[in-house]
Amino acid sequence: MRTVLVASMRHHTRRYVAASVAVVIGVAFIVVIGMLTGATRAGMTADVGAPVAHVDHVVTVADPRDVTRLMAGAAEDDVAALALGYAMEPVSRDGVQLTRSADVAEVSLDPGLQWQALEAGRLPTAPGEAVADVNAAKGSGVGIGDLLRVGSGRAAADVEVVGLVDSPAAMGADLYVPWPTLERFRDTLWADAVAWGGSAELATRLVPDATVRDSDAWVAERQAEISRGVDIIAILALVFVAIAFFVAMLVIANTFSILFAQRLREFALLRCVGVTRRELRRSVRLEALATGVVASAAGVVVGGLGGLGLVQLVGIWFTDMGAATIDPWWLGGACALGVLVTVAAAWLPTRGVTRVPPLAALRPDTGPDARSQSGRLRLALAVLSVATGSGLLAVAVADGALPSVVLMLGGGMIAFVGVLLLGPWLVPALLTAASRLLGTGPVGRLAAGNAVRDRRRAATTAASLLVGVTLTTAILTGLASSRTGIDDAMDTDYPLDATVTAVDAPLDDALVERAAAVDGVADTVTLAGTIAAVGDEPLPLAQVSGRPTVVRGPSDLSPPDGTVLLSYDVVDAWPRDVADRVLDTDRVVVTVDGRDHTLDVRLGPAWGQAGLVSSATMAELTSTAQPVAVWARAVPGTDAEDLDGDLAALAGSRAVVDGGYADRAWVDLQVDILTGAVVGLLGIAVLIALIGIGNTLGLSVLERSRENALLRAMGLTRDQLRRAMAAEGLLLSGVATALGTAIGLVFAWVGVRVLLGPVIDDVTMTVPVVQLGAVALVAALAGLAACVVPARRAARVTPAAGLALD
Amino acid sequence: MTTTLDTSTPAGTRTAASARGLTRTYGTGDNAVHALRGVDLDVPAGRFTAIMGPSGSGKSTLMHCLAGLDAATSGEVTVAGRDLAGLDDTALTIFRREHIGFVFQAFNLLPMLTAGQNIVLPLELAGRPVDRQRYDQVVDVLGLRDRLGHLPSQLSGGQQQRVAIARALVTQPDIVFADEPTGNLDSEASAEVLGHLRRSVRELGMTVVMVTHELDAAAYADDVVVIHDGAVTAHLTDPGQDELVAALRGRGA
Repeated sequence: MRTVLVASMRHHTRRYVAASVAVVIGVAFIVVIGMLTGATRAGMTADVGAPVAHVDHVVTVADPRDVTRLMAGAAEDDVAALALGYAMEPVSRDGVQLTRSADVAEVSLDPGLQWQALEAGRLPTAPGEAVADVNAAKGSGVGIGDLLRVGSGRAAADVEVVGLVDSPAAMGADLYVPWPTLERFRDTLWADAVAWGGSAELATRLVPDATVRDSDAWVAERQAEISRGVDIIAILALVFVAIAFFVAMLVIANTFSILFAQRLREFALLRCVGVTRRELRRSVRLEALATGVVASAAGVVVGGLGGLGLVQLVGIWFTDMGAATIDPWWLGGACALGVLVTVAAAWLPTRGVTRVPPLAALRPDTGPDARSQSGRLRLALAVLSVATGSGLLAVAVADGALPSVVLMLGGGMIAFVGVLLLGPWLVPALLTAASRLLGTGPVGRLAAGNAVRDRRRAATTAASLLVGVTLTTAILTGLASSRTGIDDAMDTDYPLDATVTAVDAPLDDALVERAAAVDGVADTVTLAGTIAAVGDEPLPLAQVSGRPTVVRGPSDLSPPDGTVLLSYDVVDAWPRDVADRVLDTDRVVVTVDGRDHTLDVRLGPAWGQAGLVSSATMAELTSTAQPVAVWARAVPGTDAEDLDGDLAALAGSRAVVDGGYADRAWVDLQVDILTGAVVGLLGIAVLIALIGIGNTLGLSVLERSRENALLRAMGLTRDQLRRAMAAEGLLLSGVATALGTAIGLVFAWVGVRVLLGPVIDDVTMTVPVVQLGAVALVAALAGLAACVVPARRAARVTPAAGLALD
Repeated sequence: MTTTLDTSTPAGTRTAASARGLTRTYGTGDNAVHALRGVDLDVPAGRFTAIMGPSGSGKSTLMHCLAGLDAATSGEVTVAGRDLAGLDDTALTIFRREHIGFVFQAFNLLPMLTAGQNIVLPLELAGRPVDRQRYDQVVDVLGLRDRLGHLPSQLSGGQQQRVAIARALVTQPDIVFADEPTGNLDSEASAEVLGHLRRSVRELGMTVVMVTHELDAAAYADDVVVIHDGAVTAHLTDPGQDELVAALRGRGA
């Protein structure tokens, strides 16, 4: 039997290629994910221990203020201590803001605790000196010797950059300043640990509820924490692996059942010459096993090479990428899964093989039976699944509570399985309907007839593509809908893209003009007003009447008379007592030209750095209103940092730049990245499905070679044959795409109702027509491309050669 | 057992197809198989010609070359007054569908088309309208009237071959090639199919060339071409049984 096994593997190698490719892609997919996460983990956890390498303990506290207390105590007792945390502060140079928010961490003045790796210059030896991260410095153009102003308001501190350092991902910051400077930013300082050179007793004496730990233990814990974060990403990616493998399973099962149908006579002959049913089944299953093993091994090689390349590629942008490594368990799991999926997918088709009566070998070959029987049980089960699934989805939509997410997922899966089970009836019906579009010519008739000839084969082929298209459509539509919701929320929270607001003197006309001319600024509005004072703080007041053209969202930002609109962060920046008084009374006393006025206060999000009043109120405050603020609407797609930088350069120290465009762009980018990642990951499943289509067509061509030869003998030209095959592939992919888009839209609608309904009022479904059109086009064209090779092969055979085939 | 009719000799009739110095070689070098070695042949129009020979004698190759299904290695093939040399694949295909009909041994019909659809398929492929009169005539001559809506799988072997003959005749081709048309049939069905082929020559004026290795089948033919090892060894007109057997043993002509 081994001779037969080896010989038939060798003989049918080419036919196994497509099934193998599906497994190779699946296994490679897992290996690549494993390598990427391995590299990310290596990069993220590298040098976590560097800051605490020279101390014995790490003290963790609950409140950042306790960190201050520990550092103060350490300074008193002359104990080595390093705050582990960072503050987020704006950084400017020569009055020009370099970044609105930089991570600022501590660099110790104690050489023993200076863990940063020096790249250029020297490490700080005195307060007022700082080192910058070499990568951050490259981005903002900071060099050694630069004087930087860190922070804003009274907390602002001037430091001199004396060196550039390299810092690892886990503990990295953009700028490192000594503790006396960092301490000033206690408002934004986030720190929960101190590298502690002193005794545990000293720490607990300073902060009674502090936890003192071995530095090694702390490092291990940190690494585990980071690893868990990376693992979650890996597990999320595995969801897509599961989808890809499900599709691969459909493709493999289909391939095997076609292969076995074509080899029925061969099997019958083996039975005739004395092979038992059991031996035959074992032999065929061993073929599947061998295919799985070879394909998995190939998948590991392909995935390994792909992973190495990808890690290198990602490393170009993301410098904290570690070396590409892979957990051997992960590798073994990928291999095992590949083999398991292959064998499992071949299990059902191999059962049919053993039912071949030996007599089949002796009967004349009539070609594979044109009709396959689909049981009533299957139909009943399919209808039941669709009904149950739809019911659950309906309940999920009606309910709208949290458990409905589970209902939705369960219902969706059950309904989808029902649709797949319904395939042998649904797909041929759709194919027949769609074939009307091809016209009544012989080519169209042939394509339609061939496409629906084997209902189960057509159904499985379509199903594999259906999975990918349905999920892609659902997710694209869901994301587009949430983007609409997010956009609305962003419009409310960030009505202004960019603002340039005077600090303590009105803006000059040149600045106003040049602001309008900045790249990426679509439109500007100049607001007139005056510089008032709240206590000792200057507060620019601007008049708004009617809705300025650049404002987004439902609010038009025009206050009623006697009221001033203030952003939260303007009030937050005032001294605590002044801010508290305003927050408590909802009133503010502003001083203009030495006269006090009391105004009602309305607080809101991101309304710029100026207080907004009506023109009537402004007229009461001053008679000589001058430009104090410029509001700009950004051109969609403008780089947020460029816009910020350009405006900041213009504003200098005379004005401050603010606005929601950066946040908006950041959120947009997140949604874009999410969309791209999901589509890319689902793309693997779609790719496998397309290989399945090409495979089905390719094997059908072999099966139909006599028939094609007959047609060619009777006058079907080569071109007509090729066109018929192309039409067949297009029909299959087109029907799968259309059905997938329809189901995907239904799922998206349910998903939007269930997931976004509770969060966003009046949620509406946004159909991303262009994106869905692109998906449909890609799927259809790829279906067409999948049949190029089979069609060429079919057309190449001369009629005489085709007729001579057995 | 054959009825010998005293008709005019082939020389006096029109020629439907002819071959001159036809050779066909498969493979090269040591592996070369010479299926045809310089065949000269004229197939008279309006007659039923059988090409006979043992397995591997090259009779199917000869038919394929004459029918434009396979390209000759060298030599000249003329069918319906047209030299087939130099026609590209598309031209050859179009030539076939306009001038030639086929009946094969097995797998003659497309399984997903009914008998009626199979019959008009060549016309559809050529984009020609169906000549109803001709269609009815062919269907009636072959006795297929009540089988037109059946799928091939619902027809007996003899009925399937009759559908194939009807399909070959409906286009009114210049010449019909039949490749072992009775190879898969029992003797009764064989006799029926051969009778139909002869009637199509007698009653519809067709030219039929049949490849066969069965003596009984050849007995239905007007002319018999005997081929051995890729060369024509005899071209008999209305041969008797003894003459045929002698020719097949390589002693004739």
